[in-house]
Amino acid sequence: MRILQAYIGGWNWRAERLGDQAINLFNSIVRFYNLFFSVFSICLRMKWLSRPAVTHVLIRQLYFTGVQSLPWVLLFALGAGVLAVYSIVVFAQQIQDLSLIGTLMNGVLVQEVAPFTVGIFLLARSGVAVVTEIGNMHVRGEDAFLRSMGVHPHEYLHLPRVLAFALSGLILTFLFVVVSIWVGGLVVSWSYTLNFSEFLVEVRRGMDIEMMLAMMLKGMCFPMFSCMVLLDQACRVGRDPNQIPIRATNGVVGALIVMVLLDALWVVSRIVL
Amino acid sequence: MGGFKDRVMSDILQWEDLNLFGDLLPADRVMRGESVRIVMNNRFQYAFLSLMFPDMGGQGSLASSIWLQHGNQRLPAGSPEFCLRVGSMIRHRGLMANLSIRENLLLPFLYCGDEGRLQNARNRVDEVAELVGLERLEEQAGERSSFTHALLSLGHCLLQEPDVIVAQEVHVGMAPDRLQLFREKARVALEELGSGVLYLSASEHEGSGLKFARTHRIVDDAVPDVSGVW
Repeated sequence: MRILQAYIGGWNWRAERLGDQAINLFNSIVRFYNLFFSVFSICLRMKWLSRPAVTHVLIRQLYFTGVQSLPWVLLFALGAGVLAVYSIVVFAQQIQDLSLIGTLMNGVLVQEVAPFTVGIFLLARSGVAVVTEIGNMHVRGEDAFLRSMGVHPHEYLHLPRVLAFALSGLILTFLFVVVSIWVGGLVVSWSYTLNFSEFLVEVRRGMDIEMMLAMMLKGMCFPMFSCMVLLDQACRVGRDPNQIPIRATNGVVGALIVMVLLDALWVVSRIVL
Repeated sequence: MGGFKDRVMSDILQWEDLNLFGDLLPADRVMRGESVRIVMNNRFQYAFLSLMFPDMGGQGSLASSIWLQHGNQRLPAGSPEFCLRVGSMIRHRGLMANLSIRENLLLPFLYCGDEGRLQNARNRVDEVAELVGLERLEEQAGERSSFTHALLSLGHCLLQEPDVIVAQEVHVGMAPDRLQLFREKARVALEELGSGVLYLSASEHEGSGLKFARTHRIVDDAVPDVSGVW
C-alpha cells in the first residue's frame, strides 16, 4: 500500500511540475504578446517622434548596437562570409556546374548565414547589455521613477531598443552580404579559381527580389524579436539583482530559440505558399 | 520662478475611499498651499504610490479613484497630464542612472513633447540646479546618495511648479548635516512654489517641519508598529 502511495505521489509530483511548466509557458507567451503589441502600437502611433527623450535614447542605442558593431560585423563578413563564398565556388567547380554559385549563394549565404551571423552577434554583444541595463533599472526602482514622471517605460525604454536592433540588424545584414560577396569574389579571382566578372554574372543569375526581401525581413526580424525576448526577461528581474545573470542567460537562450523558430516558420510558409 | 503665483485656478488632488490591504483610507483632497499627512508604514506607502502613479500605458483610467481636478477637467492618476501637474518626491527614486544630471532634471519635459514647456525648462534648469545645490550637470548621474535623489526630486518640482506635491520621507537615510541642509532647501522651495503637500510618513513624530491641516492614520495589523521607537 505504501509503495502504491509513493508511486502515485511520484506521478502527482510529475504532473504538478508539468502543469507548472505549462502555466509558466502560457504566461510567458501572454507576456510576450502584450509586450509586442504594446511596443508595436506605440511605434505605429508615432508620438515618440515628437519626444526628444525617446529619440535621444534611440540615437544612443543605434550608435551602441549598430555603429559600434560595424567593425566586428565586417570582420565576421571577411572571415565567415568570404569562406562561405569561396567554399560555394569551389564546390560548384568540383561538380562542374557554375550555375549553382548564384543559387547556393542565395540559399546559404544571403538567406541563412548572413541574418543568423548578424543576429547572433547582436545577441551576444548588445543582448546581454540590454538585459543587464534594463534589469539594473528595475533593481534601482527607476521604473517607479519613470511612472512618477509620467514616462511610459515601453515607449521610453523598450521601443528605442527594439527599433535599434531592427534597424541595425537590417543594415548590418545587408553590409555583411555585400562585403562577403565582393571580397569573396576578389579572393576567388585572386586564387585563379574563377574570373571576377564571371563570378559576378553567376551571382547575379541566382539573385532575385524575393531573395532580397527575405534577407531584409530576416535581417530585421531576427534581432527585433530577440530584443523583445531579452526585454521580457529584463522586466522580470524585479528588485533582485541576483536575477540579472539568470535572466540574461534565459534571454539569450530564448532569443536563439526564437530565431530558429522564425527561420523554421519562414521555410514552412514558403513550402505551404 | 513663481510662474504659477499669478494663477487664479488651482489644481486639487482628490481621492475616493481607498482600500489598502483591507484598511480604508478615507476620501480627501489636497489643495494648493495646504499640507495633508498620511501616516502608514512603507508597505502601505508604496501601495498608495502605485495607485497614484500606476503603469497604465500613459493613458490613465477615467475610473481611477485618484485624480487631479483641473478646472472642470478630471485628470486620472497615471495620465501624462496628471504626472506633469503633480510633483513627486519618492524616496531614492529621483533619477535615472544612465542620464546626466541635466537630462534627469529635464526628463519629463523632454518626454512630454511640448516644445514651449521644454524651452522654458531649459532656460530655468541652471537657476534651479543652483538653487537646490546640484553641480556638474553634464556628469552622468550613476549611483547617488539619498541626498542627491532628494535634491533632484526637489529640482523636478521646482521646474514643474505643481500645485500639489506627493512627498514621501525622502530624507530617510541622510546624514544629519545633509538632512538639515535638505530641509532648509525644501522649505525655501516650498515657500517659493506655494504648493500643497501630501506627505506620506511612517511616523507621527516626523513632519519635516510642515504644518498639517489633516492627518490620516492607517495601522497595519500585520506588522508591529515600531515607528518612533528607533
